[in-house]
Amino acid sequence: MKTILDYLSGETRTAALSRAVFSLVSVLIIWQILTATIVMNRMLLVPPAEVLDAFIGEIRSGEMRRNAWATCLAVGVSFPLSVIVGVLIGMFLASSRALSLIGGPMLSALNSVPIIALAPLFIAWLGLGFSSKFVLVMLVAVFPVVVTTEAGLRATDKNLLETARSFNATHIQTFTTVSLPYALPYIVSGIRVAWARALVGIVVAEFFGSFAGFGYAVMAAGQTFDTATLLAYVIVLGAMGLIGSMIFQWLEERLAPWRKE
Amino acid sequence: MNTHPILEINGVSKTFVRRDKTEVAALRDIDLSIPKGAFVSIVGASGSGKSTLLRIIDGLLSADTGKVRVNGAVVTKPGKDRAVVFQNDSLLPWKTVIQNVAYGLTLSGMKWREASKIAQEFIDLAGLKGFETHFPHQLSGGMRQRVNVARGLAVDPEIILLDEPFAALDSQTREIMQTELLRIWQQSGKTVILITHQIDEAVFLSDEVVVFSARPGTVRQKIPIVLARPRNLDVKRSPEFVQFVDKIWKLIEEEVRAAAAS
Ligand SMILES: Nc1ncnc2c1ncn2[C@@H]1O[C@H](COP(=O)(O)OP(=O)(O)OP(=O)(O)O)[C@@H](O)[C@H]1O
Ligand SMILES: [Mg+2]
Repeated sequence: MKTILDYLSGETRTAALSRAVFSLVSVLIIWQILTATIVMNRMLLVPPAEVLDAFIGEIRSGEMRRNAWATCLAVGVSFPLSVIVGVLIGMFLASSRALSLIGGPMLSALNSVPIIALAPLFIAWLGLGFSSKFVLVMLVAVFPVVVTTEAGLRATDKNLLETARSFNATHIQTFTTVSLPYALPYIVSGIRVAWARALVGIVVAEFFGSFAGFGYAVMAAGQTFDTATLLAYVIVLGAMGLIGSMIFQWLEERLAPWRKE
Repeated sequence: MNTHPILEINGVSKTFVRRDKTEVAALRDIDLSIPKGAFVSIVGASGSGKSTLLRIIDGLLSADTGKVRVNGAVVTKPGKDRAVVFQNDSLLPWKTVIQNVAYGLTLSGMKWREASKIAQEFIDLAGLKGFETHFPHQLSGGMRQRVNVARGLAVDPEIILLDEPFAALDSQTREIMQTELLRIWQQSGKTVILITHQIDEAVFLSDEVVVFSARPGTVRQKIPIVLARPRNLDVKRSPEFVQFVDKIWKLIEEEVRAAAAS
């Protein structure tokens, strides 16, 4: 027993994979037991097998593809754009003390407003469909990137900046060879947070403002009390969040190996 | 040796003003004249402004009063004729050893083929062969410091400014590096300014040792080291050597005591 635990808590890639499989299997078992014993009402919870059936059904009917296309298109356009805009604003703020003093409070004010709550307003302005999703995702995803970009650029090691200067580096060279590589892991950590937020943003936008997309499908299934289909879409969304988070985590560690060792 | 001064420092003073408006006088009225090809060390208590002077010579910091001239031209910013090796670890953690050593060269627009060839020479010279593709965090403190020195030398400056370059090394490695530095200096004819807390290191390497007073740093005394060259480690056991070390040691001790008393 002890050796299995030792193995599972190891640092290797197979150990990490085993951990993931192990927790997934445990969740499925507990879920199955719950639906068989305590929660008998099928409107509240359905067993995993039924969710799988619903999932396959959605794929067969083409609904999954239609919804995936709508959501992925909206996220695929607005998320990269919010990263680019976020990095640019962050760079802009980091470029001068005055800018950050003026822009900083405004940003943190905007950042603490639950922008999601404005979703109905945006939908009223922009109508149902792509543009309201686009704006909502941009607004929720841009802030973490702005904040971490500025923080990373500002945190750049003074010794390294001075070294670049001592070798006569131009401002652009100093930026590309010192500040940017230094800030990159920070920026990626911001992107990771932004990804999670973007998914929330898209789902909420689709709840109220569209006829396709994962959020729309969740809403529609809920309204017809089709719990199995609802859970199938939630699981797809969860997987998107998890995979994105893992990729960015990995990238963060890749970009700054000196922090770990 | 050509005694035409390559570096002239006239009346340099520097006072730092902190955020809370308190002032720290770091340097006062420094006058130094350093001949081309000389090896000069600066010693003094911690906080006596040695690193500050080095930054002013390199052009990273401007003096409040006074001027620094290199080959007769007033220094206003860093230039190709000078290179500085900093006291603190200043290697780029995302670059390999060879990329770090070539850093100054690539910044000046040199193509990688050529830059890496030159960098390789200085890596070999610093005894780091085989570590070209290692990253700084994979090296020991002493090895990192050698990469630092190699990076400064690689840009082929006329004056090399070294701020406690061997501080992180154990005493054996330090002695090896000292003799290496002597050898490089003798071959290249560069002018070296070395800051160190190791008095025997200063005496062993230098033509002249400049002793700084406690803060604000002033030139307390310039001591020409009249020991025959080429020198090897045996010279450290000669009575003349020991006398120089003693003399400098006493001067610094007086300064530290005076500073503590005031
Ligand atoms: N950027 C700065 N801002 C404010 N004060 C500074 C700054 N740089 C140095 N000082 C102060 O100036 C004085 C001299 O510093 P400096 O680093 O030149 O000393 P040093 O002789 O190199 O000391 P050490 O031997 O410990 O390296 C110190 O009191 C230090 O606190
Ligand atoms: Mg210093």
